[in-house]
Parts: sequence; structure tokens; C-alpha cells
Amino acid sequence: MNGQDKGTNPMDPFTAFWSDWMAKMPGVNPPASSGTPDVLKQMRQAFFDAMAQYADQFMRSEQFLNATKQAMENALAFRQQIDQFLTQSVRNMQAPARADTDHILIVLRSMEERVLNRLEQLDQRVSELENEKAKSKRVAGKKQ
Amino acid sequence: MNRLWDRGHPGRFWGRGHPARTKDQMNATTTFNPWALTPTDGAAMWQGFLNRMTKLPQVASIAQKVRVGATPAEPVYREDKLRVLRYESDVQKQYRTPLVVVFALVNRPYILDLRPGKSVVAHFVNRGFDVYNVDWGVPADGDRYLGMEDYIEKYMVHIMDAVRDYTGTEQVNILGYCMGGTMSAMFTALHPDIVRNLIMLAAPVDWSTKDSLLSVWTDEKYFDVDRLIEVYGNAPAHYLQSSFLMLKPVSNLIEKYFSFYENMEDEKFLEDFFAMETWLNDNIPVAGEMFRQFVKNCFQRNQLIKGELRVGHRLVNLRNITCPILNLTATNDHLVPCGQSLPFNQAVGSTDRSAINFPAGHIGMAVGSRANRELWPKACDWLAQRSEPV
Repeated sequence: MNGQDKGTNPMDPFTAFWSDWMAKMPGVNPPASSGTPDVLKQMRQAFFDAMAQYADQFMRSEQFLNATKQAMENALAFRQQIDQFLTQSVRNMQAPARADTDHILIVLRSMEERVLNRLEQLDQRVSELENEKAKSKRVAGKKQ
Repeated sequence: MNRLWDRGHPGRFWGRGHPARTKDQMNATTTFNPWALTPTDGAAMWQGFLNRMTKLPQVASIAQKVRVGATPAEPVYREDKLRVLRYESDVQKQYRTPLVVVFALVNRPYILDLRPGKSVVAHFVNRGFDVYNVDWGVPADGDRYLGMEDYIEKYMVHIMDAVRDYTGTEQVNILGYCMGGTMSAMFTALHPDIVRNLIMLAAPVDWSTKDSLLSVWTDEKYFDVDRLIEVYGNAPAHYLQSSFLMLKPVSNLIEKYFSFYENMEDEKFLEDFFAMETWLNDNIPVAGEMFRQFVKNCFQRNQLIKGELRVGHRLVNLRNITCPILNLTATNDHLVPCGQSLPFNQAVGSTDRSAINFPAGHIGMAVGSRANRELWPKACDWLAQRSEPV
């Protein structure tokens, strides 16, 4: 039951799944004293196991992956159109749009990075100066 | 009663030409007859259904009253949206070095302290550890530019500094779960002097295998993460939740409800079920840049294990990890298969390396009854042996 083969008949995975489940049925062996519900549970579990296995293999197939890729591209394109429409509407009403707040955030973030980098450099210089000062004090102390 | 199976082989229900066999003889041949429901069986099933329906108000009441979080906690540090919770207990502290639990960014961290009897945190607290948990908070739209450097070199550094200041210690123990474990490994590689012991719980570090469906779905041929983040800003919570559900669609969408129906009369089952459902539906978005970097650099390019990953300007080299490590992996983990976690032990520079491969699922490692009985006492023992007493 390999969904990766190219040119596979679409019915084959389903047929394989069904055969797999039916093959598991004779393995269900209820104890002599159990009631029917246990038998049904085992049947059900065998069905779910086969279905889970089939689903896992299908979701690894080229078919599924390409379909989800296409679905996501369509969803993102649709979402982008909605965003553009809403942005345009908001701007027409002279109100700030999401893109404007994004721009402010980017500016703030760059500023934050520059300020923090500068502070780090200053901190490093101060540490170096303090070390030098401590060193010269020690030297002066030794001379005395 | 002349049941169908008395007539012969079940593959031939009418059993023509075959001598009749007893029920014991039929069972001995490992076959069964699914069509042998009697009216009594049917009546019993109907009665069971009615019993469960009469219990519905009770079920609804339990669902309303469910509470998550077993151990009392207080926030001791806040920064932006994150908080660090300290768990309180009457148990006297036995060990100096605090334990900081770091969970993933995709869900809420109370899974590690879900309910009494299903709490990883409680194990360590009751053993005398001073336990802290990082609640990353819920990213807003303005957090979309937070990346790996912000989380690891800024937030995690500040968290560990705050915990060390609060406890007066120089080092911390870290327990990282899932993506939180990956982040903890990166942090430890960049700041090895701060971490005394590192426990990795179902944490991926090597994405070269395609055992997990997530690894297949995030392949760059099929998943354009740049486009997703460009449109949405942050990785949407509903998108992440759908993806996780679809990893095991039969179990999450069908089997779960059958199990619920069959156990509707069990109050303890219902309490655990609703607590779990609360957490499962409590997905949060992930900061856009962090999500982009994690998918691209880890899932798609597998840079961490190769030693090529940079956090900011700094190269993450797992060989810099020299503290004792305990790598906990789950045998039945569909989210983080063992093959993604186990290579960590060979990649680090530690000489004290341990691993426990436990028969559980990804979430079962934290909330499973068996894990709470067998795994976490061992993990506590491991940490206690490597911790400094008070």
C-alpha cells in the first residue's frame, strides 16, 4: 500500500486499505465468555487502525502535498486581497491601516537595535576603562 | 438458539454441506461472526445509550467545573508578555539549584502541571526542587518581528538571570519540552556556564529523517513559510492547531469521541478528558520571525545538528554543552520521533549523557499515568544525584 508510486490507480490505495481491514478481521478473537460489544470494539479498532495507516500514507503522497500547497497558496492570495481591500478602505477614511502600524514597529525595532548596540559598545568601553584604572591603581600601590 | 455460527464456517453463513460445530470449537479456530448480535445485545446497547444520555447534565457540569493547573504558583518575573511562575509548596527545599521548565511557543505551558496525578512539576516540587515555569504569553501582532535572537539571547538570558538573582544561585537546571527543549539546547550551547543540568523532553534537534508528518509537510518544495508570515504576520493559532490535529486524524477526530461516549459515566475520565481538551484547544500564535527562522533553519535546512545555526551573530555549537544531560524520548511520538531527538546525545560535549526511551506518546510523556508512575520518579532521581543539597 504505497501511495508514492506515480501513475497509481486512485482506487488501489482504497482497495488496499479495505483488504487490510478485512485481513485483520479473522484475527479478532473474542474470549468465550465475552459479550458482543467487545467483539464490535475489536472490529472497530481494526478498522480505525487500518484507516489511520491509510491516512498517514496518503498524507505523505505527492498528490496530497501538492493539493495542500495549492490550497494554501489560494488561501494566502485570498487573504492578501482582503487585506489590500481593507487597507485601501481604511486609508480612504483617513484612518491608520495595519501597514502603517507595521511601519512604525519596524522603525521602533531598528531604533531599539541601534540604541542597544550603542549601549553595549559603551558598556564595553566603560569596562575597559575601569579595568585600566584598577590596573594602574595596583601598579601604583606596588610602587609605594 | 440456532446461531449462524452453529451452521459451520463463518465465511459461509449458511454452512451447507459442513457439519455443525459448537461455539467453543468455533472460537478455537480464531474466527468470529460479526452478524451474531442477539436482541438481548441490542437491548443492552440501547439501554447503555439511554443511561449515557441521562448523564449529559452531569457531563456538562463537570466540563464547566474543570480546572487546569494542580500546583499553586506565583509570577516572580515579567518581561513584555512572558512571565516566570514559581511553584509553591509546603515541602521543604532540598536542593539549591532551581529547575526552570521551558515549554514550546505553540501551546500553553500548564500541560506540565495539568491535574493532580498528571503533573511533571509536582514530581520535582515534592522532591524538594525549587521549580519555575516559563509562560511565554500570547504574541500580538506587534510581536511578529521577534526572532530566535530575541527569544534565546534576550528573553531566556533575562529569565535565567532573574531566577538566579531570585534564588541567589549561580546556575540553573533546565527542563525543555518539545520546541522548548530545542531552544534550551541552543541556550545552553551559547551559555554553558549558566546551566548545571539539562533535561530534554521529546525535543527535536535533527530533522534529517522524515518519520514525522510535520517534517514532510514543512519541506520547502511544499511549504512557503515566507509567504505565510508575510500575509499573516504571526503563525496563526488555528493553522497550527489544524496541523497538529491532522497528524493523527483518525485518533483526534473519530476515536476520541468513541472513547468519550464509552466512558461518559466515569467522572475521573471526564475530568481528565476536559482538562486535556482545554489545553488542546488553547493554541496560541507563534511570533512570525521566530516561526520563520525555526522552520527554515531547523526543519528545512537542519542547521542545528550540523553546527551551522546562528542565533544573532553567534554560532550555536552543541559541543559547547558540557553539563550532564538527560534525554527523554517517547517511543510512540508522532510529533517528534525518536530519530529527531536521540542524536542530541552524540552531538554534545558532555561526558555525563543519559537517555530514557519511554513507551508513550508526545503528550503522554507529560500527562500519561504510566509516565507519572515510572518515568518522572527516575528523572527526579537523576537530577537529585547531580544537584547540590541545601
